[in-house]
Amino acid sequence: MSGYVKYFRKKIIWFLITFFVAVLLNFILPRLMPGDPVAVITARSAQGMSEASAVKEMYDNYAEQFGVNKPMYVQFFTYFGNALTGDLGLSFSQYPREVSDIIGSAIWWTVGLQLPAIIVGWFIGNILGALAAYIRKGFDKVLLPVALFLSSIPAFGMAVILLVVFALKLEMAPTSGGYAFDMLPHFSWDFVRSIIRHYQLPFWSIVIFAIGGQAIGMRSMSIYELNADYVKYSRFLGIKDRKIVGYVFRNAMLPQITGLALSLGSMIGGALVAEIIFSYPGLGTTLLSAVTTSDYPLLSATTLIITIMVLVTTFTLDIVYGFVDPRVKAAQFDE
Amino acid sequence: MKKMRMLKVVTALVLVFTLVLAGCSSKDSTDTTTDTDTTQTDTTIDDDTDMDEDADEGGVEGTLPRDKTLYFAGLQWGAINGWNPLSDDMNNALLITQTAAGTRVPMFETLYMFNFLDGSMQPFLADGDFEWNADRTSVTVKLKDAAKWSDGTPITAEDVVYTFDTIVKIGNGQGNSLKPYIESVEAQDEKTVVINAKLTDDGIAENTLMVEQYLSTTYVLQKAWIETVEERTGGDPVAMKQDPGEDVVYSGAYGPYFANDQRVVVVRNEDYWGQDESMWGSLPQPTYLAHTIYVDNAAGEVAFKAGEVDVCQQFIPNIQDLWLKDNLPISTYLEEEPYGITGQLPTAWYNLDVPALQNVAVRKAIALAVDYDAIISNAMTNQSPTFDAVPRSVMNPTEAEQSMYRQEDVADLQWAGNDIDGANALLDEAGIIDTDGDGIRELDGEKLSFNATCPNGWTDWMAAIEMVAAAGEKIGIEITSEFPEWSVYQTVVTAASQDQYDIFMMWTDGSAPTQPWARVRQLMSSEYNGIEGNWSGNWGHYANDRIDEIIQAIPKETDMNTLQDLYTEAVEIYLTEVPSFTLMYRPNNFHAVNESVWTSYPEDGDGKNIPPNVMVDGYSIAGLYELSLVQ
Repeated sequence: MSGYVKYFRKKIIWFLITFFVAVLLNFILPRLMPGDPVAVITARSAQGMSEASAVKEMYDNYAEQFGVNKPMYVQFFTYFGNALTGDLGLSFSQYPREVSDIIGSAIWWTVGLQLPAIIVGWFIGNILGALAAYIRKGFDKVLLPVALFLSSIPAFGMAVILLVVFALKLEMAPTSGGYAFDMLPHFSWDFVRSIIRHYQLPFWSIVIFAIGGQAIGMRSMSIYELNADYVKYSRFLGIKDRKIVGYVFRNAMLPQITGLALSLGSMIGGALVAEIIFSYPGLGTTLLSAVTTSDYPLLSATTLIITIMVLVTTFTLDIVYGFVDPRVKAAQFDE
Repeated sequence: MKKMRMLKVVTALVLVFTLVLAGCSSKDSTDTTTDTDTTQTDTTIDDDTDMDEDADEGGVEGTLPRDKTLYFAGLQWGAINGWNPLSDDMNNALLITQTAAGTRVPMFETLYMFNFLDGSMQPFLADGDFEWNADRTSVTVKLKDAAKWSDGTPITAEDVVYTFDTIVKIGNGQGNSLKPYIESVEAQDEKTVVINAKLTDDGIAENTLMVEQYLSTTYVLQKAWIETVEERTGGDPVAMKQDPGEDVVYSGAYGPYFANDQRVVVVRNEDYWGQDESMWGSLPQPTYLAHTIYVDNAAGEVAFKAGEVDVCQQFIPNIQDLWLKDNLPISTYLEEEPYGITGQLPTAWYNLDVPALQNVAVRKAIALAVDYDAIISNAMTNQSPTFDAVPRSVMNPTEAEQSMYRQEDVADLQWAGNDIDGANALLDEAGIIDTDGDGIRELDGEKLSFNATCPNGWTDWMAAIEMVAAAGEKIGIEITSEFPEWSVYQTVVTAASQDQYDIFMMWTDGSAPTQPWARVRQLMSSEYNGIEGNWSGNWGHYANDRIDEIIQAIPKETDMNTLQDLYTEAVEIYLTEVPSFTLMYRPNNFHAVNESVWTSYPEDGDGKNIPPNVMVDGYSIAGLYELSLVQ
């Protein structure tokens, strides 16, 4: 058992070190971008103001409020301390709105879109991949090229194709937004229908893209496993086909589970394309606008969320693998 | 058997797909709800919204009735921060914008409304025209008796005074820019306000134009409400400007209704004072004004074409195709090119800190060689008058500004553009020639090589900059285009000294009561040189004593002939010295309308004299009272 404790302790220490470095990078990298966001806020208020000294006064006021006139390390520790208590500061681009408020209102759209889409895409892709490996023949001959085709279309290409075909040409779906342009959020079936209708295209653009990659991965893993010695041996022993298939897919699933966990971890970055093309609300669009406006606090916060999600999922994977994968387990005991 | 089972699984999957896709094709609820019963009252919507529970003209719960709502695009690009007009940071562009070029007046109101078509000031909260005293040191304004706040209390001179004192005290954008020109605002009696100009040592008004600008750009706010804000913030200027103003009292026809990350909606105040005969005589036609927050121009344009937007303030290339080719019920203020009234002058500035650009021949040669017709037809898709139609000056193409100078006096100084021979001759004559045979001319032994920049993503500007670069190539001057991000660009351009951009684009202010004086100042005043964070103008750091004198003289002058002399001289200097040059004309606001639901929008020749300014800016709001439904 001490092997496990040692393994976990090591993982946790690495996790904490990675976390600190990630937070540090999250803080520093946006600030290395050229440009002065405080000047951008001042500019917004100062346009058309003919008195240059008054503009300078406004600039100094904003700089003071954001603390950007303090040394970088002081800014970092203030940021780190505040972040631990959930205070992510004020947004530059949407000043005086709080970053936590902006993220709070956007994140549910992203999670609501991405989580089901990734999971559905993963399931369908894996089932199709496994079927292709098992049935082969005609099914595989159709599925493989289709899957290759789907997975090689870039995500934005898929989204644009869906938008043009279903929204603009066939007018089967709306072109933008999270719900109908003439509706306000409230609880009614009409509103729920509107939400679902607006959900379709961004959802399928992610699902279809995910299916291709997953199916190809699962197909090759399954074919590899189906030809493995233990399968042949089991067949000689007369073990039922159904049982063998169970073993095969369990083994083939392991890398696919890693893939699922990682795509869940990085779902916010992945949301960017679908959200932007379909003007769908969410963190992807927030992230993009934070980049273009040099909104450090908002940018740091969004990337922090991505970092934490990726860290947490990989950490969980490490832990789970320690238990479920005999190879990892063996490696730990070997040390 | 096994295969049968697999077949079942596959069939089940296909069924699931089909079902979900079927959901996709079901008709949107909104299509059916818009023409159903619209007399029901709105009840609850979202807790975190600003719904006005008393709105009695709502449609089906949670839906804005299409025939009672006017939709906008191109003004609001992110969630609003609040309704506080004392703040510069509410990001509430549909309702709170106080600039000389256009003050939004649906919710908060000004004393006068500016009409950029003829430069006139229409009384709003004010009763009749304003009056300067004999020596032009103070202006007297009477307030309308009918004018009252959304809480029913009358608007008094005290409110006007307290608003001015507050914006100066807390130092918001308006306060800071008016402070140097207005000494005080006083209440003569309950309905009479006197605005005292700041005086020079000689006892004359520092700048009467800026005083007049105050009348049409500064909101009048309720004293009692400002005091409430002061009380809850302890009077701290920063806190007062950050206050979201949820409880704001307003005088306009529309008040807060709903706002989130995707929408902002205001609802008509059925008790609006403006329905009095002394003002509009009726309520504005739309019950709701709504602005969907689109991710970008493309999304807004798609929605506009689909009829989900009625009034669109976006640059749409080749807009005439929308009605000529796509047969959409879309129109603009003018039926023919340039489709709108232009007010701004997007300008290429020379960085005069660069030694080679201090040579007038170099500056003029580049300006002569640029193909303006190509810029106007490609970058602006002919949504700008040509320089043949409106010769270059410091004035925008409106009649109000063009009448301020004598075109014929500077006709000899004009250039048509794409004049490669003329530009080459000019450079040759100045002795700026290519001595080493590499195709690039040299000046004082240095190769003439510049960069030309504008912000990335500003596509019409980028196309114009490419034309400037192309012009350089034809006359032996190396010009390379660069497109930095806006956040970087603006930091560089507004710096006190900069050695990064040689030729760069910036805007000039649009129509305003202070124009074209403010534009002369913006283009050439040396007062801005050496100032860090210069947002005011003269970004190329030009200096000319005579221009500075003219800029000082114009605001103190009242005689029309003398004014024309001064303006004509300013244009003469501008065209001779070429510290910068206009590349195209551009509207104050783009103004395209979709007439699938609403019609009777302002149009050229309709005899109403309502400017095409998206019907929320200044006097263009009169358009809201003229609208009618298509059905």
